[in-house]
Amino acid sequence: MFTEVLVGLVIGGLIFFFVQRSRKQVLKREDGWWGTGAPPDDGEDFNIRPFQVTTNNEELEDLHRRIDQTRSVPSLEDSQFHYGFNSHYLQKVVSYWRHDFDWRRQVDKLNQYPHFKTNIEGIDVHYVHVKPKNLPEGTSAVPLIMVHGWPGSFYEFYGMIPLLTEPADPDDLAFEVVCPSIPGYGYSEAPHKKGFDSVCAAHIFHKLMKRLGFQQFYAHGGDWGWQITTNMAQMEPKIVKGLHVNFAPPSKPGLPMMLSVALGRRFPKLFGFTDADVQRLYPAVDKLVVESIKESGYMHIQATKPDTAGRGLNDSPVGLAAYILEKFSTWTDNSFRNLDDGGLTRKFSLDDLLTNVMIYWTSGCIISSMRFYKENFGKGLNQPHAKMPVHVPTGFACFPNELMHTPKLWVKQKYRKLKTYTPMARGGHFAAMEEPQLMVQDIQTFIKTLEKK
Amino acid sequence: MQKLHDLKEAFSILEIAQPQLVLGSAVAVGGILAYLLLKRREVKSIPIGEGWWGAGDKPLKEDEKIYPFEVQTSDKEIEDLHERIDRTRYSDTLENVCFHYGFNSTYLKEVVSYWRHQFDWKKQVAVLNKYPHFKTKIEGLDVHFIHVRPSHREGQRVLPLMLVHGWPGSFFEFYKILPLLTDTQNGLAFEVICPSIPGYGFSEAPHKQGFDTLAAARVFLTLMERLGFSQFYLQGGDWGSLITTNMAQKKPQSVKGLHLNMFTSRRGFKVLLSMLIGPYLPFLVGFTREDVRRLFPFMEKNIYEILRETGYFHIQATKPDTAGCGLNDSPVGLAAYILEKFSTWTDLKNRDLVDGGLERKFSLDDLLTNVMIYWTTGSIVSSMRFYKENLKTNIDNRVDSRTGIFVPTGLAAFPGELMHCPLSWAKIRFRNIQSYSYMSRGGHFAAFEEPQLLANDFIQFVKKVEKL
Repeated sequence: MFTEVLVGLVIGGLIFFFVQRSRKQVLKREDGWWGTGAPPDDGEDFNIRPFQVTTNNEELEDLHRRIDQTRSVPSLEDSQFHYGFNSHYLQKVVSYWRHDFDWRRQVDKLNQYPHFKTNIEGIDVHYVHVKPKNLPEGTSAVPLIMVHGWPGSFYEFYGMIPLLTEPADPDDLAFEVVCPSIPGYGYSEAPHKKGFDSVCAAHIFHKLMKRLGFQQFYAHGGDWGWQITTNMAQMEPKIVKGLHVNFAPPSKPGLPMMLSVALGRRFPKLFGFTDADVQRLYPAVDKLVVESIKESGYMHIQATKPDTAGRGLNDSPVGLAAYILEKFSTWTDNSFRNLDDGGLTRKFSLDDLLTNVMIYWTSGCIISSMRFYKENFGKGLNQPHAKMPVHVPTGFACFPNELMHTPKLWVKQKYRKLKTYTPMARGGHFAAMEEPQLMVQDIQTFIKTLEKK
Repeated sequence: MQKLHDLKEAFSILEIAQPQLVLGSAVAVGGILAYLLLKRREVKSIPIGEGWWGAGDKPLKEDEKIYPFEVQTSDKEIEDLHERIDRTRYSDTLENVCFHYGFNSTYLKEVVSYWRHQFDWKKQVAVLNKYPHFKTKIEGLDVHFIHVRPSHREGQRVLPLMLVHGWPGSFFEFYKILPLLTDTQNGLAFEVICPSIPGYGFSEAPHKQGFDTLAAARVFLTLMERLGFSQFYLQGGDWGSLITTNMAQKKPQSVKGLHLNMFTSRRGFKVLLSMLIGPYLPFLVGFTREDVRRLFPFMEKNIYEILRETGYFHIQATKPDTAGCGLNDSPVGLAAYILEKFSTWTDLKNRDLVDGGLERKFSLDDLLTNVMIYWTTGSIVSSMRFYKENLKTNIDNRVDSRTGIFVPTGLAAFPGELMHCPLSWAKIRFRNIQSYSYMSRGGHFAAFEEPQLLANDFIQFVKKVEKL
């Protein structure tokens, strides 16, 4: 009798366990309030207001004066970009910025797409909303939200927007694109309360899409955008039809991953490792540990003392430029550290790079942008969303110079419905800005696969 | 002869089968003896080496003269500072964060307001100049130092002493302890040299890569030699503690005593074991109750706290040029960056205070004078590079980490120091500890915060050494 009961309990327990596992977990999130003080009694302001980026003489003069008063420090002999942004090359960039860069023209370029602001959970959220101009009869545009990261902005997507909204190939899908700014970045207001992490941002972006009238949409992101769009998929798997990312560092190293690191070099086929995978992962200590330590100083200080780290950068445009552009150099290709000019203009134009820096400068958002690191990492790496898998169809674009390489096996640990995994021909961390055509091509391929079904 | 015969007999008495046992034990004993001998012959000093850090190529001859130097300022300098302060673009703090996100912006505005309207830099420059300053060229760099002689020498034993500062401090940190060392009036007085580490304050920054604590140690040894001191004492904290330790390792015959208020041990099996057993059986691993109180809970106090507080360390050890660039244009940014350390490293609980407890132990005048040294010399970037130069390669494998320290050593363990090092761990590297004191209060900037306590401990240490 006793044994029967015991067996029954064990079997029951096992069934319960497996049922729980297979029931797809959904990330829960309550409404937050990020404005100053307490939330008002009369509810949220649902108004959507058009917004335009503006500038004036005062802003430019102030920038020029500050640039002129830079106190530069010469870099050590023969140090290239190993100690950070090389001062000799920085002077060249700054000289261009001071004398040749035309901010007014860039502002016009920013305004070529319609901008809006709307108040969600107490803060003004900025976004760009682009609809296709010529839609063929009987088709509708596919809605797509694209989220940027740090130290980027919505501007990173400007190369992709025309390719998505006005595709040259008639077989390609036409998209209706929404590019918001993460609260605390660029023209989105910064949260006034502690605790605004990627899950809170995801919640706000869901509200935004709902407010714009989208019942379902696709999402794309890299860097923090990857984390936020992933959270969006975890929160509302029925609303996010598909998720496309170009960055997917494992949030929770599990047993399969550990085993693959240990044995993958000897038995690549066992883990589905291609030659490219092996080349990018090994020697493991060097490529996974040492490289990470070399490049994560900024992350460490921003995740612990963001207010201190960003303080000087909000007064010194040159300091801000050095801090941000160092990433555009090293994260595009870490061999650029060996170059005197950091290879900065090999893949990007100074106009584009400085426009991105100007977004941080004119909005004074560097500190709030850094706080996002503390809000996310400060709670530790064991957050519920880190442990939760993603059941939304996912497409992963694997760029060869991305900061951390994730082979298919690792991506699948979290993204249980990986539909496409594309090794890309070239490109680094800022792939959207560096290789917009390649990125759009992969998004088209991925979404077409899903839409055909 | 008889003895030999007895011995032969004794040997033959043993069975033929047993010689292997005897052979085995002889080899074992021989092995142990050889090991002990080798251990004793262990390296007691590290090579002095050589270097040159000036711009371009080394000239044939170097100027070895010592020139007097005066700190100066000008109206232009002060106006520029004020203009920059007035142009600061502040950001709002988050609600209720105190100092957990770094230097609180609201309190920062108060500090800056004092700096802008009440702080008198000209007066502070006069304070700096109350001791004689000098500069001399060593290994291609202008090395700055102050040289303070005791006011009365009659009836006193005068001992030479070098005090070395760290980051983000300067020679100015020692201004409170100097009178306690030079005017002791109890028979023992010190003639003190406080240099600035090359790349900090008024010392020229190296132009070549590779200037680490070993290089700084050699430069300071040369300085003492040039000043005519063949034997002297050393005291240091932060980088100063590593530099003075290296000095004692390079030229132990010149260092009469080494006193440190910050020290670490080598990681190793003994340390690991004591970390595991320590909380439960402290006496077994040589821990006192005070050690246990300061070290445990281990994960919380050591790992998490260190992670929380070493962001600056990580970025400075990897990208110093980027990290310091903006700080050299923004005086407020520089002040926030530096003063955050004076708050948090004095007492970690200061993070829970809206004003970071900054003025509890220090005056704004003193704190801002230190900041001004970094500002007026534009040395923040070069000061940060020191982290990278020392941590480029694994510091645990460097020759000085693998070598012991054999000069008489005095250790002062302050309760607010970032990481506690018990005597049992310190003994692994420091082989001649004459004094180990649990200080009653004080944090990382001991000389600045508790000059009397530090001076007392240092003097009692020197007295112990001198009696030897």
